[in-house]
Amino acid sequence: MSLSGFLVSLFAVAAGVGVVAFRNPLYSAFSLVINLLSVAALYAILDAHFLAASQVVVYAGAIMVLVLFVLMLLNLKSESGRRVSFGSAVFVTLAALILLGTAVPPIVAAFSTISPGDLSDYARRSNGTVYNIGRVLYTRYVVQFELASLVLLVGIVGAVMLAKRRSGGDMSPRSSSVGGEV
Amino acid sequence: MNQVVGYLGVAALLFTIGVMGVALRRNSIVVFMCIEMMLNSVNLTFVALSKLVGNLDGQIAVFFVMVIAAAESAIGLAIILSVFRSVRSVETTEVSQLKW
Repeated sequence: MSLSGFLVSLFAVAAGVGVVAFRNPLYSAFSLVINLLSVAALYAILDAHFLAASQVVVYAGAIMVLVLFVLMLLNLKSESGRRVSFGSAVFVTLAALILLGTAVPPIVAAFSTISPGDLSDYARRSNGTVYNIGRVLYTRYVVQFELASLVLLVGIVGAVMLAKRRSGGDMSPRSSSVGGEV
Repeated sequence: MNQVVGYLGVAALLFTIGVMGVALRRNSIVVFMCIEMMLNSVNLTFVALSKLVGNLDGQIAVFFVMVIAAAESAIGLAIILSVFRSVRSVETTEVSQLKW
């Protein structure tokens, strides 16, 4: 296991513990976002580049946004609405800038020694590129792929049916309420 | 095997943390998030073993698990919203009518 893999795994496990440990469900959701991004970095370290990108887009970008929407809609009354003091805002900003600063030297060093040709060379030699995934997905697994799109369609229809407001059995648009509580 | 056994251990650890979260937390949205964490740990296992074996079947499996997780999250959160509308709570202890 490489050093970067070990550090990212540490991050992922710490964020995972944070999901379970935080009392406020919003903190748990943010912790899960950090966990999902760390796991996406682990996919990239393990040469699964397409999956790393789709993990960021699908999991951290769509599923967690949905979870955060639901959390905000439900407006749970646990520890929310506490004002952030100016001192703690300054402290957190300084800490974030220091954290960002530790990431700059490796990136600068990497870009000064690696040329774009090296990166495309490495991508061409590794296994999990978009080209390789597509070549397998649309030939050997095409039936499963079409079934997966069917599952997504059923999921969309089911979610809309479940989340609709029950309007007393009357299907006319007049009887459904607009706005108000969720 | 030496190169991926660490990642298998991380996946097992994340799975265990997810199981503990499902068992210990009472907020149903946090339970849902721990289920997603368990799915992620399985995905990580698939990807690590795909790198070990050398072909892409594990990564295709991860692709389909992500699709199913996306559909399941939409339906699961819609169910949580429906339950909230009738019970006005997301605690799992509030929907225990079927318990003996």
